[in-house]
Amino acid sequence: MRKPKKKIGFYLASAWIGIILFMAIFGPLLPLPKWDASNYDLLGAHPFTGGHIFGTTMDGYDELAGIVHGARISVMVGLVTVLVGGTIGSAIGICAAYFRGKLDAVVNLFFNVVLSIPNLVLSLALISVLAYSDSSHPASNARRILVLMISLSIVVMPILGRIARGAALQWSSREFILASKSMGTKSFDIIRRHILPNVAPAILAIAFLAVGVVIIAEGSLAILGIGVPGGASWGSMLANGRGNLQFSPHEVYMPIIFIAGTVISTNYFGDYVRNSLDRREAKI
Amino acid sequence: MDTLRGIARRLGIVVFVVLAASFMLSLLIHLLPGDPAQILVPNGTSELIKQIRHETGLDRGVFGFYFKWLGDMLHGNFGKFYLNGGYQTVASHIQKGLPVTALLILYTQIVALGIAVPLGVACAYREGKRFDRIASTILFVFSSIPGFALGLILSIILAVRLGWLDPIGYVGFFQDPVKHFKLMIMPVLSLSLGIAANYTRLLRADVIATLKEDYVTMAASKGLSNRRILWRHVFRPSSTTLLTSAALNMGALIGGTIVVETIFNIPGLGFQLAYAIGSRQIIAIQTLVALIAFAYVMFNSITDLITNIVDPRTRERRA
Repeated sequence: MRKPKKKIGFYLASAWIGIILFMAIFGPLLPLPKWDASNYDLLGAHPFTGGHIFGTTMDGYDELAGIVHGARISVMVGLVTVLVGGTIGSAIGICAAYFRGKLDAVVNLFFNVVLSIPNLVLSLALISVLAYSDSSHPASNARRILVLMISLSIVVMPILGRIARGAALQWSSREFILASKSMGTKSFDIIRRHILPNVAPAILAIAFLAVGVVIIAEGSLAILGIGVPGGASWGSMLANGRGNLQFSPHEVYMPIIFIAGTVISTNYFGDYVRNSLDRREAKI
Repeated sequence: MDTLRGIARRLGIVVFVVLAASFMLSLLIHLLPGDPAQILVPNGTSELIKQIRHETGLDRGVFGFYFKWLGDMLHGNFGKFYLNGGYQTVASHIQKGLPVTALLILYTQIVALGIAVPLGVACAYREGKRFDRIASTILFVFSSIPGFALGLILSIILAVRLGWLDPIGYVGFFQDPVKHFKLMIMPVLSLSLGIAANYTRLLRADVIATLKEDYVTMAASKGLSNRRILWRHVFRPSSTTLLTSAALNMGALIGGTIVVETIFNIPGLGFQLAYAIGSRQIIAIQTLVALIAFAYVMFNSITDLITNIVDPRTRERRA
């Protein structure tokens, strides 16, 4: 069977993710003004004026520098959250599916309970409780980002956990697992050698989608005023720029382009992995 | 009899899930560093704080607090928003917010289905042709763009640049229907375009599958017109997945409305929740989140039950 030709979308999405990762990793080395240094002579400059390719905000911050710095925060939040939440969730889900019985019942119920709260509502509730601060002890930026990542990890955990459980259930009832069991292989080795490689693609597909979910959640929380403050992330830039729609709309559409572009790309990869998975399954 | 038992079992699970979720919230409240009653009224006198602690059951530990709250809920006492010096009941906020959010969700579903049904059938009919390819790409992009981004882009174009619509606000239907609809256009579009894209993809896949059935070829060989075959013979059996997904989306939309209501200043349920969180009204947060979870789980279970009854094939598949 001939391998299907990669579509142009695949190259576009790869290129976009490449650019975002480049900005996130090498951002501090680029010849840009500091993201939070104000240029008081140029407030709300439109794109391509006064040496600011993306323009400036109404506070005089360079928009491009903000996007590059925001990429760092948004990518970090997206990746760390999905890695931590996904790993814990998948581990729980796979173990539940493999051992079945009471453990499975408890885990399934736990996932259902957490999933019964819409994910934005859950992260709102978690952050409002965890990000405790009062006027005498304001929470620092780093702490707020940490709280954001913990809360979103809890949100991501059951999403990936349920997928992992579903996939592992199918695989752990196949004959070769039974054969391996009857040969006396340890449970841990069976999971690591036989189940994990088979369920990994399914988890990966949803993990790509989850990165998108997290980036959108970060933006939503910033708009609601409890995300990362001060224009440090894309969502936060958007939240700050929302009041200046009239005079400098680029403050809003620049972060939107980057949020939307990144989510479209991760969703594309998610679909791509799932489709190639379906093709593999069809061949078996 | 079997169906009845199924319904009872489902209902039991719903109740348990909602109880567990709300208990989790109570636990979180008690894990808060500092005194929860102090957070409710940051500048309150020690007497007021003591009174509130007693009134909400915060002085009775996690379980005491939880069962006090649950008992109050069952008696229709949804707790209070504590303001400077006074209070408002959460029930009055819900009374104000619920109809607004319900309307917003209703309009969103109508618009989303209105876009998805003709587009999904048209794409499936022209599967693989240029129209289908272009439409599918555009839909994929729309399904990935978050609602708040669409909302902000719409308000830049329609409100700020063109000046056709007011950027924010809400007017009740009975106060001024024309203004009501004009203000709802942008929030409804920003919520429904993404959903419409998902619905279209679902319907397209199902219609394509149905078009390959033998009875469609049979209908075509009888000389029926394409239009009649598509709508009478193909669309109806293909629409179950779409309807299920639309019903399941009702719950998810409650979450989605929070941000859109905030952007467009619409005083719905999500807006009230955002306000409760912004002012750290723990009791109100607990009540509102529990109600949203309840509505969400209820919608999902009812959808499952109805599809089971309407389409017995799903029952067999599960058994």
